[in-house]
Amino acid sequence: MKSLLARLLGAHHGRSLALVLLVLAALLQVWRQEAPLFGLRHLLFDHYQRLHPRDRSAVPALVVDIDEASLVAQGQWPWPRDRVADLVARILAGRPLALGIDILFVEPDRLSPPELARRLPQLPGETLAGLPDPDRRLAQALATGPTVLAVSGVAAALPTARPGGRSVSLVSRGGGGSEGLPAYGAALGSLPALEEAAAGVGLINTPPDRAGGDADLGVLRRLPLAGRIGDALVPALGLEMVRVALGAAALEAQSGLRGLETVGVGDYRLPTRADGQLLLHFGRLAPDRRVSAASVLDGSFAPAGFAGRFVILGLTGVGLVDQVLTPLGEKIPGIDVHAQVIESLLAGDALRRPGWMPALEVGVLLAAGLLLIVALPALRPAYAAGSGAAVAAGLVGAGFAAFVAGGWLFDAATVIALLNPLFILLLGNTLVDADRQRRAAENALQASREAAARDAGELDAARRIQMGLLPDPQALFADESRFRLAARLEPARAVGGDYYECFALDDRRVCFGVGDVSGKGVPASLFMTVAKTLAAALVRRVDDLGEALRQIEVELCRNNPEVLFVTTFIAVLDADSGRLACVCAGHDAPVLRRGPTLLRLAAGDAAGPPVGALGNYPFVAFSRQLEPGDLVCLFTDGVTEATDGRAYYGGDRLLALLAAAPADGPPEALATAIRDDVRSFEAGHPPADDLTVLVLRWDGPAASRPAAAAA
Amino acid sequence: MEDQRVTLLPVRVVGGVTVAAARGRLDHLTAGALGAALAPLLAGCKAGSPALLLDLSAVDYMSSLGLRTLVVASRQAAAQGGRFAVAGMQPLVAEIFAIARLNLVMPCYVDVDGACAQLA
Repeated sequence: MKSLLARLLGAHHGRSLALVLLVLAALLQVWRQEAPLFGLRHLLFDHYQRLHPRDRSAVPALVVDIDEASLVAQGQWPWPRDRVADLVARILAGRPLALGIDILFVEPDRLSPPELARRLPQLPGETLAGLPDPDRRLAQALATGPTVLAVSGVAAALPTARPGGRSVSLVSRGGGGSEGLPAYGAALGSLPALEEAAAGVGLINTPPDRAGGDADLGVLRRLPLAGRIGDALVPALGLEMVRVALGAAALEAQSGLRGLETVGVGDYRLPTRADGQLLLHFGRLAPDRRVSAASVLDGSFAPAGFAGRFVILGLTGVGLVDQVLTPLGEKIPGIDVHAQVIESLLAGDALRRPGWMPALEVGVLLAAGLLLIVALPALRPAYAAGSGAAVAAGLVGAGFAAFVAGGWLFDAATVIALLNPLFILLLGNTLVDADRQRRAAENALQASREAAARDAGELDAARRIQMGLLPDPQALFADESRFRLAARLEPARAVGGDYYECFALDDRRVCFGVGDVSGKGVPASLFMTVAKTLAAALVRRVDDLGEALRQIEVELCRNNPEVLFVTTFIAVLDADSGRLACVCAGHDAPVLRRGPTLLRLAAGDAAGPPVGALGNYPFVAFSRQLEPGDLVCLFTDGVTEATDGRAYYGGDRLLALLAAAPADGPPEALATAIRDDVRSFEAGHPPADDLTVLVLRWDGPAASRPAAAAA
Repeated sequence: MEDQRVTLLPVRVVGGVTVAAARGRLDHLTAGALGAALAPLLAGCKAGSPALLLDLSAVDYMSSLGLRTLVVASRQAAAQGGRFAVAGMQPLVAEIFAIARLNLVMPCYVDVDGACAQLA
């Protein structure tokens, strides 16, 4: 089980499991559409509203407020209906566009004649008939203007409720009708006489699930623009006021495949949910829209202030009405909600969450999820961590832009919440991958360092063997006056294997030579050691140089698994006679300088192949007679094949240098001059092979005689 | 000059001789690659089998490690009873070859056609 999980987590940098999570998230989003996750959606939309509340600078609606001051001035609620009638008459005198009354006059007034007759049965009939009827006065007042009374839809048939009531017709386009609207069993309204006197009745219900709906968190965000009570279609109070003001006969609705899309009257339409509910875009609380009923009644507020306005009459006294919480975080009396509906209708400003929005959100979820799955594992860990924040910021920002532009409600919050597990999984895998790569890189670096150290150690060991073999001619021949010998060997990084040799065979004869082992590292160094030891022994014992070299080769080839061989030039100088015996095995011919003349000590046909190449080659020695002052220069291909990247140093440059060198200069200086000239030719180009120069000058036998005699 | 790596061109058979052509520089950087490329050909270079001829006409430089590769090849072929030869050296390579006297170690021919005629 654990291994299966590990395989899933690890597969394609966790992409497989991430894809599964993405599909699950999409399914969850579809399934939880009507009950948003954790209320995140509302938190986001409420925040959008707080950042961008509806502009209320236009003042189309006023609230006449039966507030605490009015109750102090006019006595306890309910007021007699004739006082309400006075208030209505004063408001209508200002010619408002419509007057909505958010008060239910369910029972007859206490002072109406029938009520008085019931309370005081002894009262004479003619007295009763002469008494004023407050309900009739209110009805008369209502009939004088564009007034709208409130009606509340109730589920059960209360004793005071009536089935149905006044209905407004609905002109519906696009197929559907009023089926999706909230339906109520009965109406709780005003006395029939009052309703008949008014120009219309409007629904004052907020959504039935408002109070207890967990999804709304007790915040009023929506209300039905119309509802059905029994068979009657009743517009919301605000909408009905606009209808009455326009004198329109019917509401208009536009339906689509998913239900209602817009509801309105005349030119004033608002987008709704499929069930006709308006998603209100709230504006901030505006106390200047409130007029105290007391100031209207006592004349301190002139009725002219109502001209051209929608006026809503209602109660805000503490203890009389509920207050509702808006998405802006404000508590407002229910009456203000109707004012906001009117303002929204006139401004055409409502929030939109059409039926296709959830599908868009699922699409965005899938797209963003796929983007993360593809991109995140490819990013560097620092960017990967930021990519989630960038996607979230982009979604929220785009959502807010859509909100500001058209009131569109795009639920970025749920998308982000559902993307989170995916993001965490991918980021975790990326970090694990990065850590693994870092460890691998560290291990590789460690390994390469170890390998380099091993190679360097081996090269170093080979180099120490090689350099340790080299004799010091100045120390060896410090007292010698017949000849002077100098040598210089500079190892190269890539290939090594050069050596030089010089030792005295006896009082008269000195042996010297250079060689180049074809190979590198410790095997070449060991081969060189063996060759050098053999040469020292055999040259002393065998008089003929050619035969000595043949025997050296035979010994070397007894055990030569790496097929190493060495090119060499060996010479023996008789310091008294100046006779120089030489043998050449695949090596470049040395240069002989005699006065102004330069010669090559070419062996011609006497030259043999490199020692070790064949195994038993009959090398042939040859000899030359030196003259006092003659200079012999032995070298390896580290000189002639030194390169500056374009050409080789070559033998001609060496000859030119030797020709130009001072005749009586010490061999040490000449060896150094050759080295310097090669290095300056290379111009920084790293040497590929060891460089060896050996210079011998024979000064003649005479010079040594006095010293020998003195000794 | 340094970018030129030695390459073993496709092997062809000319008149009963297996001809492998190398090109580029044959030095410490490339000698190992040439040796590896020659190994399968040398494995089949036995008594009675066709001679193996290395065409050097496209090789413009040869260092001591390059020489060693040829000596190793030559000795392996000889040990197996086969025949190994080189042909078509450029002047610089021919000079290096002459200094090292490798003409004493393995047969060298001026050109490939002549070599094939001789070896077939």
